This record gives sequence, structure tokens and C-alpha cells, in this order.
Amino acid sequence: MLELSNITKIFRTELIETHALRGINLTVNEGEFVALTGPSGSGKSTLLNVLGTLESFDGGDYKLDGTSIKGWSDRELSNLRNEKIGFIFQGFNLIKDYSLFDNIELPLRYRGMAASERKRRVEQALELVGLAARKDYHPSQLSGGQQQRVAIARAIAGQPRILLADEPTGNLDSLMARQVMELLEQINAQGCTILMVTHDPDQARRASRQVQIVDGMLSDASMYDPLAVA
Amino acid sequence: MEQFLYYLKVSSISIKRAPLPYFLTILIMSVGLGVFFANATFYYWLKHDPLPGKSAQLFHPRMNSNPNLCSTSCEAPRVLSYRDIKALTSTDIASASAAMYSAEGYAKVKEQQPATRANIRVTQRDFFSMFDVPVLKGAVWPDNETRMEVIISKAFAQKMFGSDDVVGQSLILDDRFFKVVAVLDDWGMFPRLYEPAHGGYLEPDADLYLPLETAYDLNYASNRQSQSFEDADFQKLATDGRTKAIHQLLLWVYLPTAEQQQQYRDFMNNLVQSEKAAGRHPNANGNLLHPMNGIMQAYDAESQEVKAFALVTALFLLVCLFNASHLSLNRYIANQYEISLRRALGASRWQLQGQMLADVLVTAGLALLLAVLIALAGIALMNHLLPDNSRMASWDGTLIGGLVGLTLLSAYLVTLYPALRASFGALNQQLK
Repeated sequence: MLELSNITKIFRTELIETHALRGINLTVNEGEFVALTGPSGSGKSTLLNVLGTLESFDGGDYKLDGTSIKGWSDRELSNLRNEKIGFIFQGFNLIKDYSLFDNIELPLRYRGMAASERKRRVEQALELVGLAARKDYHPSQLSGGQQQRVAIARAIAGQPRILLADEPTGNLDSLMARQVMELLEQINAQGCTILMVTHDPDQARRASRQVQIVDGMLSDASMYDPLAVA
Repeated sequence: MEQFLYYLKVSSISIKRAPLPYFLTILIMSVGLGVFFANATFYYWLKHDPLPGKSAQLFHPRMNSNPNLCSTSCEAPRVLSYRDIKALTSTDIASASAAMYSAEGYAKVKEQQPATRANIRVTQRDFFSMFDVPVLKGAVWPDNETRMEVIISKAFAQKMFGSDDVVGQSLILDDRFFKVVAVLDDWGMFPRLYEPAHGGYLEPDADLYLPLETAYDLNYASNRQSQSFEDADFQKLATDGRTKAIHQLLLWVYLPTAEQQQQYRDFMNNLVQSEKAAGRHPNANGNLLHPMNGIMQAYDAESQEVKAFALVTALFLLVCLFNASHLSLNRYIANQYEISLRRALGASRWQLQGQMLADVLVTAGLALLLAVLIALAGIALMNHLLPDNSRMASWDGTLIGGLVGLTLLSAYLVTLYPALRASFGALNQQLK
């Protein structure tokens, strides 16, 4: 489903070049739950951003469903993000003066979806994360765990095929982190592919595969294709 | 439409988030636009064509018929003598022509009444057709002969008689009885370019119109511009006015085709040659034929104050827009996180332009309201400072459309750069 071939990413300033990704080769199959682990500054988030097309890459190729996205226009990449990819951020990234309904509806708005269909999907997503009764609340009225569940609802409302989660439990206490992980597992069980950046070894172990990044490269332990092994 | 309403809602939420910087932006824009509107109003009327489609075919001839040899200023006088008029209208090249000047008198309806001051336009029959003057009742003079008949404006008829249905009634003008033969309807020619000198184009239309020959017979002198190039008595227009170099008449001729215009120029040149041959035109040929749509420039009659203000207010508007754009940039940078989030969730830059257009409309709407108020105050102030220009203070559809367009353009310019800059920010930096 996702195929990265020799992906490189360099951050340049006037004084310094930082090689964030150094020839990443990675294949992720449909329905996998992949945990991206590694020390701080190793390139995990950069890799996730490249996968989510929030960040461009300097070398290599990125294929999605067998099609290279290299050279795609802003509009094509926007459509890709809107229709196939859901994002969950560590800091939730909810708009504080919008209701939960409006926050979750946001990506659907840009898909040109009819109002009735948007309403149905938002309510369905809220139902899934257990916040259906609070659709008119604002994010500031919710706990951190609840806010992250709203962010998950926003990510899944568009029924994406891939969910990219950047330390989704990083700002949560252990109880709420467990609830969020259970929710992600539930979503994965329904067939959605998930790539999750995490520092937490326990959470990483709950994924179907762990990929470790060190200094912008996949470590040896990660260089296997689960289907090939099977 | 539903998406656009959503964009408007997002705009209003964004305003509520930081109302003070937003309204400061609006205020700065409005001050610039308001001051510009006020001046643009005057400038527009100064440049307004009162007879579109015809003003390029109406011409004002000038001839250097000064009987004395000029030494310093050899430009043709702006006013002509009665003799010049007779000579210049002795041809049938022009489709219409009318000589004229401005005078004044005192009118009343009954002998026992106190007289009312009346602005008089002394002119000829074709004046009314050349300048598209609407006749409400009656008919204009059939020729240019002497007749004790006047044509009056609707307002003057109401003022003197209390009615505009007064054709056939008598009016006493300077103790002489005249018959009212026509009443003119409200007439909106502005500026009155047939009277370009000394601010005459800004003044209201005459109350009363008197035939030229009658005015000369009755010794009505011009109250505006007149020159005499020989020993002559202005009080004896019936005699000296017709035979000597007393210059007080403006002539307008209607030359609708290029061929007629060329023929008339040739006619004027031939006229000078024959005058020279008769020993009456000692100066060089100084003939001029000004079209009405260039008369203000030819007379250098445009208000220099208004032109200077136009330049200053245009620069002031630019400074205001620059400052408003800077404030707007701060607001968009503050909202960059949300813009990046929208892009991350699938909004293309094109879709964000839709949001920007909604911002532009909201900004333009608010700025327009405030700018109009400031403009009205500015116009009132300019009327106070320059009372001669007070007739140039109204707004018509073209002007209002232009002002709305300028506001939209300004709002777009103020919003464009900040919005583009915010939408091109690095997504990953904003969404950590």
C-alpha cells in the first residue's frame, strides 16, 4: 500500500545541512498497525510527515497504491490528504473556538460533501469515540483524553485508508493513553492502516510491527517485510 | 453557496478572535479610502463629460481680431466681438451655432412687486438644441431676431409665478415687459463647459434666457469677461457694441463630422486672410478651435487645489493600505496555525483562496461603510474650505460603482499578500 524507496530529506539553513532521512526503504501493507520508534531527533516525525505529504522529500520515491506521488501538484496532494489520510497529532490541533461538530466536519467540508452526509459521518465518528452527546461542546470544555478522541474522530470521519498518528498519547496520562490506544486498535481492526510514532515501548509492542529509526535510517531490526517472513 | 456562507462564518469567528487589530485595520483602510473618496468625488466631476458623445463635436472658436498690433501676449482673446460673431456665423458649415454671454437683471411679475435678481444667459436659438436643454413647456425662439421674449427655467417660473405653466405670461425685466415663450425642465448639465472661464462651469444654470439681439438693443453688458480694444462705451452695446471691438461673446458651433470641422478651420483661415486684405487683422493668424471635451485644459481652468489634493490623497491611500496590509499580515500570521491545519486536513490553496475572498468581502463591506462616512465628512469640510466647488459634491452611479470597486480592490490587496504568505508556510512547523 505504502512504498518508500531510498527516501532522503535534508533540512538546510545558511550554516548547516541536516540529513533527517537517509535512504529510507519501507513498505507498509494494507491493514497493518506500524509503530515508528526511535530516539528523539532520529527522524520519526519527519518520516511521518513525508508519509502524510505534510513535508516534501528530496530524493527517492514514494508510492501509494503503486502510484508515485513525486511531482504531484498542491491540489493533488490536498485531495490525497483529504480522502486517503487521517492525521492525529500529539497536541490534538483542534480549533478552540469551534464546536466538536465543526472541528470534526472540517476535512469533510473540503471534500464537497453534502451537508446531510457530513452530519451523518460526524455523528457516526462521535459515536465511535464515545462523545456523541457533546457535539456542541468546545474543546476547552473537555479533558485531554477527550480532546484526543475528538481528534481521532476528525481523522476517521472521512473514512481514510491510512491513519498517521504522531505520539497520540504523548500529552495524556496513562489511563487516557490506554483508552486512546484501545480506540486506535479498534479502528485498525476495522481495516484502517495505522502508522504511529511513539516513544513508549509498551504501546509500540501493541502494534503489529515495530519500525525503529536511528539517525534517519531504519535500524537492522526493522528491515523486514512481515509478509515476506510469513 | 453553502460553502461560501461557511467561509463568511469562519471570517466572523476569526474577527471575534482578535477584534481590536482587525478593526484597526478597517479603520486605517477606511481613513485612506474616505479621504480618497472625498477628493475623487471632486476630481470626477471636474473631469466629467456633461454631453457624452457630443462634447467632441461642439467647438469653441477663437480668433485674434485685436485691431491693435500685439506686443507681448498674442494669444487670441477668449471672448469675441459682435462683428467677429457675425463673421464666424456667416457660413452654414456648422450644423448649429450660438453666441452667448452672462448678464444679470431684476425681474418681477407685477409692477408693484419688489424685483428679484435674475441670472441671465444672453444667447441664440441653437443654444438649446446644441446643449440638449429639455423644454418643459412652450417652444424656443424660431430665429435669432430681436424679440421681447424670454425663456425661463422651471425653478425660476416656480419662484416668480408659483407655477411652471406660464407660457404666454408677461415678465417684467428691468422695467420692460417680456413674454414667456418657454419653460425649461430641470437641466443637469454639469460642469457647464460652455462657460469655462473664471469658474463659470461650476455655477448653476441661468434663471432666464434672453435673445442676443434684444440684449444688445437693450444694452445688457456681460457680467463676466469683457475686453475693449478701442475707445468704446460698454453701455452702448446697441451701437458701439455692434460696430467696435468690444469683446464679450463666447461662440459655440456644432460640427458633428470631421469634414465639417476641417471646413470650418479652413473657413476661419480664409476669414483671417480676407480681413487682413481689408486691413483689419494686423496680428498673425491666431485661430483656435477648442472642442468642448478639451476646453478645461485649453483654458487651464481645472481647479489646481483639487488636482493637488488628488495626488496627496492617492499617496495617503497607498500609505494607509501599506499599513493596513502590515496589520493584516500580523493577523494572518497569528492564524497561520489554523490555515496550516486546514491544509493538512485537505484544503488546497485554491480552496483557501475562497476563504480569503470571503475575508475580502467582509473587510470591504465594513471598510466601505466607514469610508463613506469619512468621505461625507471630508466633502463637507472641502465644501466649507472651497465653496466654489460645492456643486461637485454629489455621487452618481458611476462614481459609487468606482468607489465600491476601489474598496474591493483595496481589501483584496490588503488581504492578498498576508493570506498568500500564511498559506505557504511549512505545515509541519505549525502542527507540531
